[in-house]
Amino acid sequence: MKKSPILAVRGLRASVAEAGVEILKGVELEIGAGEIHAIMGPNGSGKSTLAKVIAGHPGYEADGGHVRLRGENLLDLEPDERAQAGVFMAFQYPVEIPGVSIANFLRSALQARLEDGEELDLFDFQDLLTGCMGLLGMDPSFAQRAVNDGLSGGEKKQSEILQMAVLKPALAVLDETDSGLDIDALKVVAAGVNALREENPEMSVLLITHYQRILDHVQPDAVHVMVNGRIVESGGPEVALELEAQGYEEYRRTHAA
Amino acid sequence: MSGGIAVGGGAGVAEVGEVAAVGRGGDPAWLRARRDEAWELYEATPFPSTRSEEWRYTDVERLLPLGDLEKRPIGSKWSGELPERLRRVLASDGEGAGRVVEMDGRVVSARLDPGVATAGVVLSSLADAACSSDPVVRELLATQAVTASDGKFPALNAALWSDGVFVHVPRGVKVELPIRLSRWVSRPHTPTFTRVLIVAEERSRIAFEDEILSPDFESATLASTAIEIFARRGARVRYVSLQRMGRRGCHLASQRTIAERDSSVDTLNIALGGSVDRVDLNARLVGQGASSEMLGLYFGEDGQHFDFNTSQDHVAPHAHSDLLYKGALDGRARGIFRGIIRVHEGAQRTDAYQTNRNLLLSDHAVATSLPNLEIEADDVRCSHGATVGQLDSEALFYLMSRGLERGQAERLVVRGFLGEVLSRLGRSVVADKVMRTIEAKLVR
Repeated sequence: MKKSPILAVRGLRASVAEAGVEILKGVELEIGAGEIHAIMGPNGSGKSTLAKVIAGHPGYEADGGHVRLRGENLLDLEPDERAQAGVFMAFQYPVEIPGVSIANFLRSALQARLEDGEELDLFDFQDLLTGCMGLLGMDPSFAQRAVNDGLSGGEKKQSEILQMAVLKPALAVLDETDSGLDIDALKVVAAGVNALREENPEMSVLLITHYQRILDHVQPDAVHVMVNGRIVESGGPEVALELEAQGYEEYRRTHAA
Repeated sequence: MSGGIAVGGGAGVAEVGEVAAVGRGGDPAWLRARRDEAWELYEATPFPSTRSEEWRYTDVERLLPLGDLEKRPIGSKWSGELPERLRRVLASDGEGAGRVVEMDGRVVSARLDPGVATAGVVLSSLADAACSSDPVVRELLATQAVTASDGKFPALNAALWSDGVFVHVPRGVKVELPIRLSRWVSRPHTPTFTRVLIVAEERSRIAFEDEILSPDFESATLASTAIEIFARRGARVRYVSLQRMGRRGCHLASQRTIAERDSSVDTLNIALGGSVDRVDLNARLVGQGASSEMLGLYFGEDGQHFDFNTSQDHVAPHAHSDLLYKGALDGRARGIFRGIIRVHEGAQRTDAYQTNRNLLLSDHAVATSLPNLEIEADDVRCSHGATVGQLDSEALFYLMSRGLERGQAERLVVRGFLGEVLSRLGRSVVADKVMRTIEAKLVR
């Protein structure tokens, strides 16, 4: 029996703010609690835009439809309110924030969830952080480094997974987290995602990727193919394998703009 | 001109001496002569106008109505309690090797750690040291570093200075903890002129922290300072200036550091308060292997106006200088940075860097950055760069996507931006104090 969806995307249309170029042209998607969905697609298909519109990136404007997380329309919310509601996006290009340590940043993020006047207990926070780093097999000194500043590509992605572990979202959106990683770094990231799912089986994951290879390490419940701003095919893990064999050409021809 | 000099108006030489020597029983003859000469230069030097490149962005006559300033006997002793704010600062500063308190241009106390004093370090009121004709003061006061011929305001300061601090560190003496100077300016509309002279002999070490504070004023009030620093062979000197004056406080600082062979003179200028702050800093590297790290940090809001004019003079070969000035500007604040690296003829193997970065937090704030190079040697490594940017919307989105609300995300970015300068200092009382002041500005 299908669980009631955590995320329901209906008729979502979105364009680049200011330029007005439409990128998403009516996206339909539903993700149940604890499910892992992968969205694959060629460059320019709009898969990354979908991730950014869900998280509330100011560079995109939703022109129609809705994105509901546990019934609440995310499109009405600011990015920080979406995070509070349970959305987490792991960035394809995590932004460098020099002078701010990962630990301090995460503490501020957790503090922001509390009511005015409530103070985050520092010992609880330290325990949580240490626990998460242990779960991901990370060196405790990592949290003292500046947010993404001076980190390698692989370390940046690990830092994203660590943030995800600490913030415990209802929906984790991984925006091409696998891009630019060598196979060892990819395995580390995939192991992190799997460890978090084990810890928190209710967490749903939307995994945006260009390549099949991450799906060898993170087993999806469903795979969708996105072409030209729409989801054109959905199915089980076999869809990814077919794509791997055929490439995107076939889809491109049948779903040209 | 009855009984008043009305600075900028034109006072008689006789009055000059009267102002400076109040309560001090008169200057020795050499000092009187030096003041007279400075006054003559002051009168002969035209008022800086915005037509000159160096003062193009700071209209002194408009921003500092100097002609209106009254002459008051700035030498009179401070009586009564120290102001609450100053007492809090003194209490929170923690341990140091020495402490000087200067009230309205006069030193009211100068204390030195007994162990440091035993090692031969001198810390004294500059007026006292000059009046007793200390040979080092006599040789170096306003003669080689900040001299009356440097410009209108250095001349005025050299003529009218009332007091300040003299620090002399003997050969080989390493003073680990900083000596702190806390200045308080209280009289509205009354200029103060003070000086600091630091002489670090061969292989000695000293750190000096110079903080200036004041209440908010009803009308523009000037504090003029001249800072002279000499680092002899192999000496290490660190100088920090922290300006946290109140509204309508105007700070004009002339600083010159002279680094001899294998010595280092590191400076940090922090401007947070006041309405107008103009700093002229000249680092002279006169000996081989000398080095200077020059840091600056400013955070302006409302109509605050900060103008930094720096120069790195590489006179000797194989010397190193590295300048980093960073500022955030909110409201209608204005920030100006003009810096020049001058590599003199023969200063081969110079290593000199200069970076100014500005972060604009409002559409009405303005930053002007003018880095410059003048190179007369052929085997050098020099670079300069300047940026003026706004809060990065991608960074804000990143932080907000983790649940931080916009204001908080902005604060984090600003803190990180300015924190780069403070992190070069390491953990220190100054860094904590500056961060607290910045936090307070950010939540307003």
